[in-house]
Amino acid sequence: MTATEKIILALPKGRILDEALPLVRRAGIEPETAFADEDSRQLRFTTNVPEIDIIRVRSFDAATFVAFNAAQIGIAGNDVLMEFDYPELYAPLDLGIGRCRLSVAEPAALAPGDDPSRWSHVRVATKYPNVTRKHFAARGVHAECIKLNGAMEIAPGLGLCHHIVDLVSSGATLRANGLVEVERIADISSRLIVNRAALKTQPVALGRWIDRFAEVVHANAA
Amino acid sequence: MTQSLEKALLPAGLGDGLPPLADFEADMVDRLMASFRSHGYERVKPPLIEFEESLLAGPGAALAEQTFRVMDPQSQRMMGVRPDITLQVARIAATRLRNAPRPLRLSYNGQVLRVRGTQLRPERQFAQAGFELIGDSGVPGDAEVVTLAAEALAELGVTGLSVDISLPTLVPAMCQALGFSADKAKSLRLALDRKDAAAVAQAAGAHADLFAGLLAAGGPADRALERLDALALPPRLRPMVAEARGLLERVRAAMPDLALTVDPSEFRGFEYQTGLSFTVFARGVRGELGRGGRYALEDGEAATGFTVYLDSVLRALPAPDRVPALYVPYGTDLGLLRQFRRDGWRTVAGLAPVADDGAEALRLGCTHVVAGGDVRDLR
Repeated sequence: MTATEKIILALPKGRILDEALPLVRRAGIEPETAFADEDSRQLRFTTNVPEIDIIRVRSFDAATFVAFNAAQIGIAGNDVLMEFDYPELYAPLDLGIGRCRLSVAEPAALAPGDDPSRWSHVRVATKYPNVTRKHFAARGVHAECIKLNGAMEIAPGLGLCHHIVDLVSSGATLRANGLVEVERIADISSRLIVNRAALKTQPVALGRWIDRFAEVVHANAA
Repeated sequence: MTQSLEKALLPAGLGDGLPPLADFEADMVDRLMASFRSHGYERVKPPLIEFEESLLAGPGAALAEQTFRVMDPQSQRMMGVRPDITLQVARIAATRLRNAPRPLRLSYNGQVLRVRGTQLRPERQFAQAGFELIGDSGVPGDAEVVTLAAEALAELGVTGLSVDISLPTLVPAMCQALGFSADKAKSLRLALDRKDAAAVAQAAGAHADLFAGLLAAGGPADRALERLDALALPPRLRPMVAEARGLLERVRAAMPDLALTVDPSEFRGFEYQTGLSFTVFARGVRGELGRGGRYALEDGEAATGFTVYLDSVLRALPAPDRVPALYVPYGTDLGLLRQFRRDGWRTVAGLAPVADDGAEALRLGCTHVVAGGDVRDLR
């Protein structure tokens, strides 16, 4: 088997991995033991399936690796897919994991007196500048985005901005920081993603893995 | 030093072609053009830039936002730099060659310029070579185009070729038959283009199963057509599937080993296509090598064609071998020098006597040197 025929599966680190790994295992892919070792510096892992290797990357990067065909298949939230909007990515399967929502939040103290229909401009702290800009532009509002990589919730309190756009699951972090969710941009869940050119040139091999994951997800749902 | 190197900075997406790749690319273009010519496609040479309103009329409208504009100081009219050559060939066929006998077979090559690169193709200027079959709307014509495209690329040495056949008019026709609003049809098309199963289910509403089936039908050609046959498609759309099958049979008869897939839901990039379309990929190469399909000229005449993107083709080919070159020392007899070139050598002539001809040959990247009237291999 040549190197180009190897299939690389890009898995996101962190929160989603805990939910994704059982699905990967049930689809019949068992990573080598080093994968479970959080302290391991290794980034690429072999599996019990000879043609499949796993890479473990940041959740935003999983989509990028697959978009450039550096990995052929992967798992990414649709928040990441919406943000990058890579035309070379297919998302043929909703894995139903990592469920949350992408929302706009603002300080509770500000909310009552604020009339969003009068805005011409907002300053928003977010990890999702593209989604944010598009969302506000559709309402005729220019969003000036401040890209943060975490801890957005403290930004309004410190005067960095009035609004944030971030993932919300229980809303506990928002409440703890005196913020309220004012608008839901999208419902989020993790998707199985595939590179377009890879799917076109290896339709049988990749199609088989997509079907395998679909069976696992449907068995879960049933 | 740094000051002069700063001059090397070019605008985003533009690059200097250098040896040996610039030569290699030109060679690939020549070979593609020779393939097209051998199938009766005659070359046309449209200008780099022309009036915006004619460039972007008809099929060109889809490329309007990719077009650089320049004001013509002479006519005071807006001109557009071509973002694609197919548009120009379509214009030529509909105007200056309107009386030429049909079917009209035309080929072309040249550079195009686009306002924005994409993630996969950051280049804003790149070379295209292609051919158009004008005034024919049948499956045999489609098959000629697909086969010639695949053969021409295979002859360049591209391996692992795969042709994806799409039916870009199927989804719009389904949306119309099912009475979807324009907005709903658009969001459904976007979801289908991204093969986002969850978004498709949401956008298709009551018809979620039908569109999920359409999405799942994509894949190896035979299986895809079987699955399409099994779907509850509106009956008047059946002929589209039958056409795809006809194309498949003809292409397979011509090239039995070519990998073929069918993707009934793909639409993106086929904005001006009006029928069977196709995209060529090569295993392990990111992005597409070329694409083509049916479209209509501005006056409604049917056409189909194919465009090769040379940047992708170069990525799909192994780096060129070093071309042998012969160093001919200063003072060598001119007749001998000519004879070497007639024998097929690339000669590099010394312009002054040097102490060591062999060392000088190597310094200049030559593989051979003339010593005592004979050719000596330095490798």
